[in-house]
Amino acid sequence: MIEDDIYRTSSQFRLWSYTRPALASLRTKTNDIASERVRAALQRARPAQQSTTPSAAGTPQPGSDGETKKPEEKQIECLTPEEELILVRYYCEKTLELGETYKPPLPTMVRATAIQYLHRFYLTNSPMTYHPKSIMACALFLATKTDNYYMSLRQFADGIPGETSTDDVISPEFLLMQGLRFTFDVRHPFRGLEGGVMELQAIAQGQAPPAPHIPNQTAQNLLQKLKSIAPPPIPSSSINDRIARAHGTTRETLKTAAQMTDAYFLYTPSQIWLSAFLLADKPLAEFYLDTKLGGPLTETIPDGDAMETDLKNPLYELRTKLFKVLTECSALLGAYTTLSSDPDQMKGLKRIAKKLYHCQNPEKINLKRDSGQPAVAGAADSGQVTSESESERLAKKRKLELEQKARSGASDMFGPELVAERTKQ
Amino acid sequence: MASKNGISRRDEDEVCPVCKSSRYLNPNMRFLINPECYHKMCESCVDRIFSSGPSSCPVAGCRKTLRKNRFRAQTFEDIGVEREVDIRRRVMHILNRREEEFDSKRAYDDFLEQREEMIANLVCRTDVARTEAQLQRYATENMQSIRANQAIEEEEASSFQARMTLEQEEARLRRQLAREQIENERREIQAGREDMLSRLASGSSADAAAIAREGHKVLLKKSSARRSEEDRIRQKQAALRGSELKRSGLSASADMASSSGLIKGLRKIKTPEPEKPYDPFMGYVPEKRDYYTLQQSYPSVYLDRVKNDTRVAAGGYDLREYYARTMVEAFAGLGCFVEDEVAQRSVA
Repeated sequence: MIEDDIYRTSSQFRLWSYTRPALASLRTKTNDIASERVRAALQRARPAQQSTTPSAAGTPQPGSDGETKKPEEKQIECLTPEEELILVRYYCEKTLELGETYKPPLPTMVRATAIQYLHRFYLTNSPMTYHPKSIMACALFLATKTDNYYMSLRQFADGIPGETSTDDVISPEFLLMQGLRFTFDVRHPFRGLEGGVMELQAIAQGQAPPAPHIPNQTAQNLLQKLKSIAPPPIPSSSINDRIARAHGTTRETLKTAAQMTDAYFLYTPSQIWLSAFLLADKPLAEFYLDTKLGGPLTETIPDGDAMETDLKNPLYELRTKLFKVLTECSALLGAYTTLSSDPDQMKGLKRIAKKLYHCQNPEKINLKRDSGQPAVAGAADSGQVTSESESERLAKKRKLELEQKARSGASDMFGPELVAERTKQ
Repeated sequence: MASKNGISRRDEDEVCPVCKSSRYLNPNMRFLINPECYHKMCESCVDRIFSSGPSSCPVAGCRKTLRKNRFRAQTFEDIGVEREVDIRRRVMHILNRREEEFDSKRAYDDFLEQREEMIANLVCRTDVARTEAQLQRYATENMQSIRANQAIEEEEASSFQARMTLEQEEARLRRQLAREQIENERREIQAGREDMLSRLASGSSADAAAIAREGHKVLLKKSSARRSEEDRIRQKQAALRGSELKRSGLSASADMASSSGLIKGLRKIKTPEPEKPYDPFMGYVPEKRDYYTLQQSYPSVYLDRVKNDTRVAAGGYDLREYYARTMVEAFAGLGCFVEDEVAQRSVA
């Protein structure tokens, strides 16, 4: 199938598609490495703390030091991969809400892209290392850029509730992009849904051409079949009304359930929208798939007939496989409920947040230092954020150094003298 | 073998092992051998025994059936050498691959070694049956290439012969020419001198110096004319040689493709595939789709407004682009099963 080959070239399929076990093992691995680092970092941080406490207490006691250390070591309890997942999902929901606060609200596509960025980022990074709160805003801002929805950084930062500077938004950007492996293309199912609905409407008006592999279809018998399918779960006045209703429900599912679950990693966009459609109006979705892949469902007809259609329908194998995948996917989407709607889950979330407060990697809290000017930060002894004038001065100095280097390089075509090096040795 | 007593045989007391008549009695006696068993016997014995058709070898213990027409005079005194040369000739006749038929020098060397091994097998009588069978099979399988190579070899031999004779002929001609030249020169000098003497004799004494100078000039002119003549002849000969070379080069380029189990590393001779018609999209058909047929327009309340808006159309936007993209995205990846394909990818 040509369309499938088109999708296979996308970075979403090449780099960001996983099987369930692979996904689980990747998350466990990320969690393990992050916990290791957090423990090491906290260990490193403790002597510094202790050096301050004894001076306040007056007399340092070596014996008591060992006693206090032991229980503390036990206390460092890191998040499990499941807890991390819930946390990330919560911040994905937050992203959706954050998009809503802007005037006008950010397009669905932008919000969905940002959520996928978060999902992808937290596959290889742990919330213990980088707190989702700081990454979230940055992901949304990056999504406005990659989805071609222009917004200035100041405007964006002003829209975020609470005290957020432009620096807070922009500082983890490079880090985030690294986590995304510099692939910003996210294939969403929204546009695909529009296409499907468009075709269904064409069928409803009796204007549909036959599918390439089923030449004996006609617009008329397609319309006949559409009229004769089983009634929808919620009765509707006309076929167009039914299609519009299914469209709306599917869109809502795609906005929420498809974003918050792992559907993007496990399935392709067209599979996602079709399973969401299946969830919204099963008979209609099945009818639509049959117009594409031919043949009725095997369970509705006797065995003998099924064998014959098997022989006739070249897409039979694809169809059975696809139906299996679609039911799996719709089960995944159907099982989703928002975290905020469930008080039990909210309680769990609070517990996780408290836990995270204790096991946050202290070395990574200040993201500005990491991403802003890495080279300068390494050179500067303070480790504090350098002020504007300071960074300017450093930039000037660096420039001067570079110029000097270039000049010395230009004067000597074959590089510096070898003799000098030898005498050094 | 008869190598121990083969040296002192051309004596008077050489005796035919069949009829026991010695050279002493019959000085014209010639000994013949048959490559079947290499038993030696005199000409009269061969006539006597094998005239009436094939018969068994008269030497005691040898039961080979011999034919008269295969008898021939011995080339080497040593029967062992004679036999080896025969075998070698026969094997080389069959395994006549040429160096240019092999992929590498190494493959050719392997082939030579294999051939020597087979010859040695036959000579030393180890594994004779198997070696013979191999040879036989190879000969039947590669009839054509053997023939072609034989033809090439013959051609080479004959061209070599021709070249040799040509060179000899040329050398002879050159020598003759040189001789004639010397003769001519001598004669001319003689004639010139005589002419000068006669003129001196007939002329006055005042002219003597002028006459002598003139004679010298004539001689010089003649020698330069001769030299240019020599050049011309040399050029002609060079042209002749060049055409000869060209002819021999053409005949050597006939090569044969053949596959055989016996010889490894033969160069594959590829026949170039016929060129396919040019396909700019490498098999991809731009408008072809597998899940849907794209329509010119779709009914949609939402899109109808855009369709009829002149402001949109004026910008060059075509709603069909939206249709095409939307429909591709609706089905792109429908048949990609991440579960299967990604698992395969991680295995590979």
